[in-house]
Amino acid sequence: MRHLACRFVRFRKKADISKRATMKKRLSRPVTILTFALILLFNLSSFAQTIPTEPEAISAGEALFNGNCKSCHRVKQKLVGPALAGVEDRAPSVKWIIDWVRNPAKVIASGDDYAVKIYEEYNKSQMTAFTSYTDEQILSILAYVKADAAKVDQPKGDNGGEKPETPGVPTGYLNAILIGLVVILVLLLIILGLIINALKKYLDQRDLSEEDKEVVHSKYTINSFVKSSGFIFIVIFLVASVTFKNVIDGLYTIGIQQNYQPRQPIAFSHKIHAGEYEIECRYCHTGALKGKQANIPSANICMNCHSQIREGTNTGTTEISKIYAAIGYDPATGSYTGKQKPIEWVRIHNLPDLAYFNHAQHNNVGGIQCQTCHGPIEEMDVVKQYSLLTMGWCIDCHRKTDVNTKGNEYYDKLLELHNSKKSLKVEDIGGLECAKCHY
Amino acid sequence: MRIKSGIWGVAAALLLAGCKAGGDYQGMEYAPNMYHSVAYEPLTQITDENYGVWVNSLDNGRGEYYNTNKFNPFGMNMRLPAPNTVRRTDNGWLPYRGANDTTGLRLANRLVNPLQETPALLEQGKLLYDINCKHCHGAKGAGDGKVADKYPGVANLTGDAIKGVTEGHIFHVITYGKGLMGAHGSQVSEEDRWKIARYVKQLQKN
Repeated sequence: MRHLACRFVRFRKKADISKRATMKKRLSRPVTILTFALILLFNLSSFAQTIPTEPEAISAGEALFNGNCKSCHRVKQKLVGPALAGVEDRAPSVKWIIDWVRNPAKVIASGDDYAVKIYEEYNKSQMTAFTSYTDEQILSILAYVKADAAKVDQPKGDNGGEKPETPGVPTGYLNAILIGLVVILVLLLIILGLIINALKKYLDQRDLSEEDKEVVHSKYTINSFVKSSGFIFIVIFLVASVTFKNVIDGLYTIGIQQNYQPRQPIAFSHKIHAGEYEIECRYCHTGALKGKQANIPSANICMNCHSQIREGTNTGTTEISKIYAAIGYDPATGSYTGKQKPIEWVRIHNLPDLAYFNHAQHNNVGGIQCQTCHGPIEEMDVVKQYSLLTMGWCIDCHRKTDVNTKGNEYYDKLLELHNSKKSLKVEDIGGLECAKCHY
Repeated sequence: MRIKSGIWGVAAALLLAGCKAGGDYQGMEYAPNMYHSVAYEPLTQITDENYGVWVNSLDNGRGEYYNTNKFNPFGMNMRLPAPNTVRRTDNGWLPYRGANDTTGLRLANRLVNPLQETPALLEQGKLLYDINCKHCHGAKGAGDGKVADKYPGVANLTGDAIKGVTEGHIFHVITYGKGLMGAHGSQVSEEDRWKIARYVKQLQKN
């Protein structure tokens, strides 16, 4: 640094002769060098170790933070690593932070007190090294952290209190309209009654023949109405047809388990997992792509997430603790006890032994979506059997569905042979043969 | 006469309405022994010895639907393979034996993907990535999947820290997990792990 300053001073002296003359008068040479060196040193160090406050630096830092730090650090919340708010005051120096980000292992190995303390505090798990970062980049991240930490938390009520407006007419209006209509109809009834009375009085005042009088004062009682043959016919017809329909419907439900929706030992919600969090069906039902059965996931797949997520949206800890009990996990210590117990899930879909069904053939080869047969699983809190699972239902689909021949060499010859037809249905490749499913 | 047959009709309708499945009720079965396996059914277990006594044709004094293997732990019909069982695979691979520690990870860095690169491989890799990884690591690997909102420490695969890792490293991490990520060796086969690793490298390039 000093050497650099020297050269810099010399250069300036050569360039600016008049200044050189005045300086020589006022300052001796070593003092000049020292001063310039100090100024330069101060400038350099202030460039290297001051956290910038410009908005550009903050936004650049935000992008870097979101891309690289966010998975383990939050600004105000301890996650995998510590919350970063106030890190510039906590850490020994800004330079220390830069060294740490570039190579935490080296800082720990150097025996630095603060580094070792953090290392111990976080169970000796080490932060990833970001060797390629420049000082400027790290400082911009710090700038973002500082700016974000300074932000006052918006009270949640502001956003949470407002209900999103539902499209369509609000229910309040609908009720008002309904009440209004009922009132109008009742008024109409009263008015009609008054008109009839008035007409009767008017007709009574005039001279009428006996026949006309009978018409005016005819007695329509409920009794005479009920006993009329037309009424009896309609009632009998309605009762008979409803009964007939129910008998036929009832006969068709025998041996069919559609809508079977048993309570499961753990209130697992597909709506949360598959719907809200968009976890693919086959992440847990690993067999669907490879084998006959889609399989019920074993508890170790639950633990991929629930080792960390210990409270559920609907049921808090009660249901998740059942997983821990089954797999023998102690959430307090985060260790496995080895005492395992199977979860007794209730089977919903069951084909008789006489029929063969293979998930991989339909899902992997045929490219049929899970929802085609299982319905909108991602909307079900409790799963129910959505489809009939009868032979007619299978056959119907085999008649209607095109074979998924795209990119599958196996079907090339077949496609050639079936060129006369518009599309190749499952039916055309033996999808209705008895021995396809019954053997 | 007419009334009598009417009453019978209504009674039949009411009775049959009770056959319909729903809630905890499985519905009435026609020819029930077709739905209840005589052999041990792997995904079913019926522990009630008297269930299905009325259709018993086996003369063993038990209900015909009783389906429990009492020699297995918890009477389960499935059991775990014997220890050290090696699964037979299409390409004859033996299970990955890299150790689950830092040395294992360091050695895994040097592993080379045994699968040849073809467009089909990347396509399969994408399918497997979407199934197994996307909900946390996001469609583009940016660590922005839906689960990452709730689950801490989901890595950004395209971030500087991970961008340079080898396919062997990715393979190892899928097998055993790393940091807060769980081990996925039990649910993703070796071949699929290599496919995912290749696809992740592709994601990191873009």
